[in-house]
Amino acid sequence: MEKKTPLNSWHRAERANMAIFGGYEMPLWYPTGARKEHLSVLTDAGIFDTSHMAVITVSGKEARHLLQFCFTKDLDRCIGKNKTPLVQGRSAYGAFLCEDGTVLDDAIVSQIVDDHYVVVVNAGMGEPITEHLQNHAQTRSSVSIIDLTDRLGKIDVQGPHAARLLEPHLADPQRVFERMPYFSFKGYFDDRSPLSDEVRLIDGTPILLSRTGYTGEFGFELFMDEAHLIHVWNRLLHAGRDAGLTPCGLAARDSLRTGAMLPLSHQDIGPWPFINHPWQHALPYDERGIVFTKKFLGDTALKHCANPAFVYPFAGFDLRKIAPGDLSIVTNAEGNEVGTVLTCVTDVAIDRYQETIFSIASPNAPEGFQPKGLSCGFIKVNTPLAYGSIIEIKNGRRILKAEIVQDIRPDRTARKPMVQMR
Amino acid sequence: MKEISDLILPDNVKYAEDHEWARSEGGAVTVGVNDYAQDQLGDIVYVELPAVGDTFKKGEEFGSIESVKAVSEMYMPIGGEITAVNEDLEDSPELINESPYENGWIIKVVPTDEHELNALMDKKAYIGMLKGSE
Repeated sequence: MEKKTPLNSWHRAERANMAIFGGYEMPLWYPTGARKEHLSVLTDAGIFDTSHMAVITVSGKEARHLLQFCFTKDLDRCIGKNKTPLVQGRSAYGAFLCEDGTVLDDAIVSQIVDDHYVVVVNAGMGEPITEHLQNHAQTRSSVSIIDLTDRLGKIDVQGPHAARLLEPHLADPQRVFERMPYFSFKGYFDDRSPLSDEVRLIDGTPILLSRTGYTGEFGFELFMDEAHLIHVWNRLLHAGRDAGLTPCGLAARDSLRTGAMLPLSHQDIGPWPFINHPWQHALPYDERGIVFTKKFLGDTALKHCANPAFVYPFAGFDLRKIAPGDLSIVTNAEGNEVGTVLTCVTDVAIDRYQETIFSIASPNAPEGFQPKGLSCGFIKVNTPLAYGSIIEIKNGRRILKAEIVQDIRPDRTARKPMVQMR
Repeated sequence: MKEISDLILPDNVKYAEDHEWARSEGGAVTVGVNDYAQDQLGDIVYVELPAVGDTFKKGEEFGSIESVKAVSEMYMPIGGEITAVNEDLEDSPELINESPYENGWIIKVVPTDEHELNALMDKKAYIGMLKGSE
């Protein structure tokens, strides 16, 4: 029996097309349609129910040491250009590996205070990751790992107008938005924490507000006690809908994240060694990108794996896509079959003009630019491929030409300074 | 997602199991995908059409329809020769979402065997099939 988020009846009343994802019945799209939902996140803002994601707290004297050992990102070298340590109020992206270097799940780790961290993992992964961390804790008495699955609700507000749409609901927006860079957060979802006074809605609801998301665009994730979810959702939408705030389902989330080159756990990263992929920043490489700056679970396997696969992003030449998966085939320029397609979606906000990919948000887009969309995604191959090289992706009768690219949707807003977005 | 009771299912077309519809218009039979199919597929972004003059047997794949979600094959509800394709779908595939039985028609077919059209489901039988698969 699939699980439901507290907003399930709302999605159904809005006549969303529903599907099972990660064990939860979630909206794929609303009657607006996934195309307009995707575009709304580039032009205005979208609102997503992401309560299927799981949250774990890790606290105690051993907390940081345990995360340093189990998480691929080096928490002592991860913030900004100078690679300073993770501190209170900041977040880092990485993965949890098995000893053989394969991926259990990816995650965002946030430092709430010293010795207290919040770990956000994917739907259904709260329990297995909690167990994994417990198994690797040296002394259970010095670390407490709590799985908050289904006890928190999460709403993502993503798009260039996200701050403007959120502002009227915050008790003290000036204080909240001041000094809030990408991958930082403020507040806490539990009233008992002194941090909960950092971010409250005007009705007093305490939230953890983070400048993160899964769309590649400017925006926030709002973590709160599950009891507040419906109320906050309705409040945001009631005030924001006429101003362009669009409810978005998982289809738009999938196409937005792919265009932003973000991996989907258990699809683009999974049971193969976590190396040779576009997410090198999730690994603790030194400046030269050669050696690891820390010891962590799975490191030996990554350093010594024989014939590891390579994962690359690709962009097609029109909007057509193929079904990804084991039946798909990737052929290199010499005509050899070299792998399979992990993800293939259409980013409807982009298109090619002459040699270049533009987005509807590109300031330098050609006049009258009206994208039809481009297929894009990730491939997993057994041989290195050069950026710019042309491949064929195939499934069944359909064969498409695609290019290995370093980036997919240009001019994304996720990292823009807050002052430009208010 | 539409409830079965909300689906637009005209009385003057016949229904195939794969959610295509067929409507006799003089000598030719017009074929498209029905309201249930377009609702399930979501925003349609591309339609791959056969060439005029192609012939197919009943049940053969004649093209594909691509939504934001997936690529789906379309199957001939009846056998016959393609005499026309809806060229408007090239620039406006969303016509299938907006008007699945009129502006969003897909092909016209001269049937090989008239009986194949009669053998397709009527609205009542089709609704029965949908309810059975719920």
